[in-house]
Amino acid sequence: MIVVDRLVKSFPTMYGIMPTIKHFGRIPRREVLHSISLSVRRGELFGLLGANGAGKTTLLKMLATLSIPDSGTIQIDGINAVRNPMAAKRKIGLCTSEERSFYFRLSARQNLEFFGTLMGVRGKALRKRIKEVIGMVDLGSAMDRPFSGFSSGMRQRLTVARALIADPPLLFFDEPTRAVDPVHAEELRRMIRDDLVLKMGKTVVLATNLLDEAWALCDTIAVLKQGEVVACGPPNSLDTNFTRMLRYQIVVDQLDDALVERAKAIPGLSLFESSISAEGFVLDIEIAPSELSLTQLLSAVSSNGATVRAFRTETVRPIDIFSDLIRVTDDDE
Amino acid sequence: MSSTVVAAPNILVDRFSKAFAIFMRDARLAKSYDLQFYFQWFTIAIQVVAFFFIAKLTSGSPMVKRHVPGGDYFTWVIIGLAFSRFQTMAIQCFQMAVRNDQMLGTLEVVLATPTGLPTVVLSAGLWAFVLTSCQVIFFLLVAVPFGLNLSHTNFLTMIVFLILIVVCMSSIGVMAAATIMTYKQNAGTGFIAGSSASLLGGVQFPVSLLPLWLQKVSWCLPITHALNGMRDAVAGMSLVQTWYDAIWLCVATAILLPISLFYFHRAVQRAKMDGTLGHY
Repeated sequence: MIVVDRLVKSFPTMYGIMPTIKHFGRIPRREVLHSISLSVRRGELFGLLGANGAGKTTLLKMLATLSIPDSGTIQIDGINAVRNPMAAKRKIGLCTSEERSFYFRLSARQNLEFFGTLMGVRGKALRKRIKEVIGMVDLGSAMDRPFSGFSSGMRQRLTVARALIADPPLLFFDEPTRAVDPVHAEELRRMIRDDLVLKMGKTVVLATNLLDEAWALCDTIAVLKQGEVVACGPPNSLDTNFTRMLRYQIVVDQLDDALVERAKAIPGLSLFESSISAEGFVLDIEIAPSELSLTQLLSAVSSNGATVRAFRTETVRPIDIFSDLIRVTDDDE
Repeated sequence: MSSTVVAAPNILVDRFSKAFAIFMRDARLAKSYDLQFYFQWFTIAIQVVAFFFIAKLTSGSPMVKRHVPGGDYFTWVIIGLAFSRFQTMAIQCFQMAVRNDQMLGTLEVVLATPTGLPTVVLSAGLWAFVLTSCQVIFFLLVAVPFGLNLSHTNFLTMIVFLILIVVCMSSIGVMAAATIMTYKQNAGTGFIAGSSASLLGGVQFPVSLLPLWLQKVSWCLPITHALNGMRDAVAGMSLVQTWYDAIWLCVATAILLPISLFYFHRAVQRAKMDGTLGHY
């Protein structure tokens, strides 16, 4: 459905007439996306995940033909979106993260009528479709109120409704649950996953900062770090391939300096924290999966005369994987 | 894959319905600012009355008799003031539309729809021109009881010049909008256009009063020829008699309109390259 090949994007480092004159029209540019390649299958829910400034929105805007890449190609359903943006736009519904993007003095219905007509839906079909989409985002009772009176969450839901008006096969969501209350956020997620993707077979690209949202919804996740895709795959493959450390919690009945020193000397053990609880001494440890460190640690505990009272494996959380992937190294800086 | 609700595009119907949607949006927005909407009609009436008294002051002046055809300054200045509104409106409406859409955050969403750039740009002037046309008619109707003489008007000539004014001035307006798109600021085009029309375009006093070199500058302005044509139309002249100004405006339009649309297209492309489409 979408094939992005070696996409590069840069922005000018300054704006205005004086820098243009000073640099003879060639203002220095800063590269923000470096040779991005990815593909999204038809009917797939594809997540773009990254820290602030990673390039998610820039990439989404290029896919929506609102920004032109320096080089590289974007194919949307076989259409070259860079060369033929008008044809590509007919396939796309864009849900921006910009909740202001409506006419404040007009009602929600008037806004949707306007944007719906620009999307090519007219007359009875438009009125019918507006009724359907407002029902989907639970805004039926507010449709004739001015947009200026809408809360942030209602505005965000209206952007979702707008993206759906023309019933396009491809939907881009930029942080759709931002500013939405938990109940409606969950409903939106359910609608995206169950209704749009599973029932209607739409292809969705979802840019988000919310890890749990991405892990729960997406078939495939691409993690962006400073304009590069550092990982791409189904969430479970990211769990397997990108979790370098295993986490355990061990509770022992006694702990002394000798045991601490012996434990810290074990190769492959990257974190060793101790605390005291009602159960005993709690050791939080992080160990490389390929090492024999856990065995060594347990023998150290045993040879030191201590008894293991509890042993827990900590579940790998998306945040652990994400932090690992986007961790800024000295080289990056 | 679900079927889309977008009908097979009939290009003409598609463009017309989109243009009408933009017109309705602007009409609804204008109506929502009702104080401003009603107040502008009041200021028109005040302007007519003010110039009625200025015209009384100058009536019988030898200078008026020499420079104003027929010596009727009131009719002469009312035609100038009324129809110069088209220039002001044409230059401001496109750039205001772009600026407002940038500030509201709607520009990107509008440009993400499958709507051609010429439709988006040119339709942004529809409401403004309809409103200005109504204001000009109101201007003339208010002026009639004060002595405006329209009895000899050649309406065919007037309509032709009206179309030429609108299209020619729109080209300049689209260029101003392109400048807003690129530099995110008003470069004073409204002020320049307004003041150049007042000073050099023959709106409030005849161009023949100006020094010769300024008359040459005045000749280069579309408003000068537009007002010449309008005044000739009110004097009852036919298109054949006003061919010179009509041809001047046609040639200017033929040159300026494609340039302005090309410039706007380039400005949008540049904004897309620089990632500044939604900046303001």
